[in-house]
Amino acid sequence: MLMKLKNISKSFGANSVLNKININISKKQCYGIIGPNGAGKSTLFKIITGNLLQDEGNIYFKNNNIDKLSIEKRARLGISQSFQNNSLFNEMTVKENLMIACSQSLNIGWHFFKALDKRKNILDKTYKICEQIGLSQYYNHKSESLSYGLQRQLEVGLAIALHPKLLLLDEPTAGMSHLETKQIVSMIKKLSSSYTIIIVEHDMNVIYSVAKEIYVLDRGDLIFNGTPNQVKKSVLVNDRYTGIKK
Amino acid sequence: MSAVQYDKQLRSYLFLALCCSAILINIFGDYFTQFLLAEIIILSLFAMSLDFLAGRGGMISLGHAMFLGIGAYTTTILYIYLSIDPFLCSLITIIIGLILGYLIALIITKTHGIFFIMITLALGEMFHSWAFTNDSLGGSDGISGIARPDLLFMGLDLNEPLLFTYYLIVWLILSYLFLSAITDSPLGRNLDAIRQNSNRVLSLGGSVKFYKSASFGISSAIACLAGSLYAQLNGFVSPELSHWTVSGEGLIMIIVGGIGSLSGAILGAAVVHVLQHELSKLVDWWMLLMGGGFILIVLFMKDGLWGIILKFKNYIMEKIC
Repeated sequence: MLMKLKNISKSFGANSVLNKININISKKQCYGIIGPNGAGKSTLFKIITGNLLQDEGNIYFKNNNIDKLSIEKRARLGISQSFQNNSLFNEMTVKENLMIACSQSLNIGWHFFKALDKRKNILDKTYKICEQIGLSQYYNHKSESLSYGLQRQLEVGLAIALHPKLLLLDEPTAGMSHLETKQIVSMIKKLSSSYTIIIVEHDMNVIYSVAKEIYVLDRGDLIFNGTPNQVKKSVLVNDRYTGIKK
Repeated sequence: MSAVQYDKQLRSYLFLALCCSAILINIFGDYFTQFLLAEIIILSLFAMSLDFLAGRGGMISLGHAMFLGIGAYTTTILYIYLSIDPFLCSLITIIIGLILGYLIALIITKTHGIFFIMITLALGEMFHSWAFTNDSLGGSDGISGIARPDLLFMGLDLNEPLLFTYYLIVWLILSYLFLSAITDSPLGRNLDAIRQNSNRVLSLGGSVKFYKSASFGISSAIACLAGSLYAQLNGFVSPELSHWTVSGEGLIMIIVGGIGSLSGAILGAAVVHVLQHELSKLVDWWMLLMGGGFILIVLFMKDGLWGIILKFKNYIMEKIC
């Protein structure tokens, strides 16, 4: 067991966003979280990464309670995320963006001598990740000059540069064209052989093609979990979310 | 907050050009020119420290002159009351600035933007008021009697303006090399990343608080050094040195030079100080001219003088290629 969410609840004022959510995450699996808008998917992600604190419940990562750990400490434990809205270093090139992430994964971010771009281990690692996310030809391009789809790929690149034990992808294909979606799905499929991934996504085709197990949230409740086939056949899920009538 | 385009090569070339100019002016200038040059070098050190803070970590400080004051008064106290050599005094003030800056930053870097500016302003004004009313530091009249380092054993009399200015140029070179090494290091590049998107650095596992505090400490150390050298140049220190308007002038210098360019801060300090000096001789309303010029730079030259030099460099490169 890599991570266990136990009875996680969260409210904003009188509005209950998550109600006693229980999720178990095993190693080297790809999980999907789906649900309509306002289901609590992004809130759940924020609680896992430490951006929000739960009101009730506990989070265990590799059997250790991480409830009180800050965002950066959770990241150093190996919980890495790509954001729903691109969160890059816009004045920097693709190479520099990835170098920043690599400097953190190699724990040399505080070193104050020897230029970052003169360190061979960083450069090698940066180029390898750039190839992995398919951005080699944009290596020296400024991140703000990339198309939206390529920025999404770089967003995932920053997350995997940490060599995470758990990779959280928040709507990685949001706003993408059909071709861009195909590219990112193929990238996630490749990554799923090396990483444990949790993906939040609205595009059901994407979820069905990458996830081995799917959790369905609705208005803060976990209403169903199972394999993609079980989700497709679930009357409850079809009724509450996908809208497909049998 | 945005900074100028990161360009190591241009930064080094500009610094080299400015250094050579300073040496030539020192050789051929008269006594007053050498004194003006010495003032510019000290202001350059202060401007570089502010530029490092604002251009790398995105922290705008309106109280940074406090560290000028701390450097100057520490040197004064150590020299007058403990008879420590002024050169050693400068080294001690660097260490004091580093530690004090780091400790202060641990608290104040919890704030951002306008709140950070206001806290630094409050801290600076607290120090200024304390120095202004402290009789043992000379109160509002200040305190005099600070000597320059004794390098007679090397055959160098630093009371000679020419030699003392060379002494200052050595400090400027060392400080520039130190700050530019940090700027290019993982710490400097992560500070750049924090300025652009601090939440992302956090989510990558970066200790934003430590990086910002370290950069504040480093910047404070250089500002303290500038204060120490100021006390040695004038043999006198007064509370006016730590007034918030001095921090404001420092910010004007880095905006004119180009925020985040480091060597541009030296150029900015030189241009602003020379203009202040020359315009004040010509007309009584020189501040009106300075203010107007500053507004034009902010409106039409976002990257300051660095932007013009960068365009010129790109033009030359295009012609060559």
